[in-house]
Amino acid sequence: MTPRPVFNRILLALTGLVLLGGGLLIISAGIDLYRSHNLAPPAGWPLTTPGDVLLSSSDRARWSSQGWWWWPAVIAALVVIAALALWWLLAQLPRRHPGGIPVGGSPPQEGIELSARALSDAIGAEAGALPGVQRANVRITGRLSHPHAHITLTLTPQGTPDTALKNLCEGPLRTAHQSTGSPLMPTEARLRVAHHKSRRAE
Amino acid sequence: MTPDPGPPAPSPAPSPHRNRVSPAREPIAPAPPEHEALAPDTAAGDRGGRHTTRRPWSARRLPAMLVAAAIVVATGAALVDVVAVRAGRQAAGWRKHLTEALATRPVDDVWMLAGAAVAAAVGVWLIALALSPGLRHLLPLRSPADGAAPHLRASLDRDGAAALLRDAAMRVPGVSTARIRVRRHRIKARADVRFRDPQQVKADLTAVLNEEREHLALCRPPRIVVRVRQRTS
Repeated sequence: MTPRPVFNRILLALTGLVLLGGGLLIISAGIDLYRSHNLAPPAGWPLTTPGDVLLSSSDRARWSSQGWWWWPAVIAALVVIAALALWWLLAQLPRRHPGGIPVGGSPPQEGIELSARALSDAIGAEAGALPGVQRANVRITGRLSHPHAHITLTLTPQGTPDTALKNLCEGPLRTAHQSTGSPLMPTEARLRVAHHKSRRAE
Repeated sequence: MTPDPGPPAPSPAPSPHRNRVSPAREPIAPAPPEHEALAPDTAAGDRGGRHTTRRPWSARRLPAMLVAAAIVVATGAALVDVVAVRAGRQAAGWRKHLTEALATRPVDDVWMLAGAAVAAAVGVWLIALALSPGLRHLLPLRSPADGAAPHLRASLDRDGAAALLRDAAMRVPGVSTARIRVRRHRIKARADVRFRDPQQVKADLTAVLNEEREHLALCRPPRIVVRVRQRTS
């Protein structure tokens, strides 16, 4: 249930298209766009004149006379939509970090695991001790066999991003790589700078 | 968060890369960049020059949560009420109210038009969110040592870049205050000069800011525009 960016974006675009289309349909009928521009909407087009209502009595009569299956079908559709939306919602929640990361190369050795928390604490401790780094926060996410590391580095005002990144690669990340024996973990690092007052040079 | 640079990324897990790179290899060993599923940007940037580097894309988690929550609430309420009515109870007040409004208000009613306009605006906004990369407050960084770490994707936030550049500007003799605004393609620096020739201060400031910008290791270094103002009082 990893939230997929592409998936989120497709669903957002679909929702947006539905809302935009519905809104434009109502607006174009409401301001009488078809008649003022001499457009002929195709047959069966909903909402053509400003006097139309969204829910006409003929619609309601047609729906209520559909037979016994109509309301069960409506309920089933609502259940499906609600369940899918709930799943989409839950998929956005941050994923728990994997419990244990296999250690010992590929194929990993049986029975030996490194807890993700221990690994992230170790990376964080080493990264936080780098020169020019004030604080380091490490999270490990992803599936057991494919962990990803997310590192937030807060630089001191004296630190520079290029040396911090270089030290990060050669220090904690290499240590983690060597000590787990697993392939290099995909890592995302976000750098920020600790807030400080502007001081005039002496 | 697993930002993806392009639409066709079925899985964020870099399995092909794993099979290829032996674990005993040092991180200096350059991995084939096209097989790095998570960090194609950094890898591509290191090889093909700075300007081919693509930005990280936001996962759009918050808008997705809001839209999903709205759908859940709306369909859940409708479901409860439909089931209640089928079970022989009265329809809820909001449903009667809504049905009556939809059945009596014509589409040129001001409420209908306002609601439709809001829906269309939200729709445009959602489409824009879906199509734009987002993460505008982050500036992507070059991976250190050109290709040594294709697994690492780094970014610096713009406020942090501004703070570092401001500190550098304040080290120039003659500058009393400096205000730096970092945008995605341009850095605007405004400085007040208390002593020395403003033109000279401006030249120094430009040189210092350019040097500091190199230390920021940005993938696409923004252009620096310097303005100085003499303040004698």
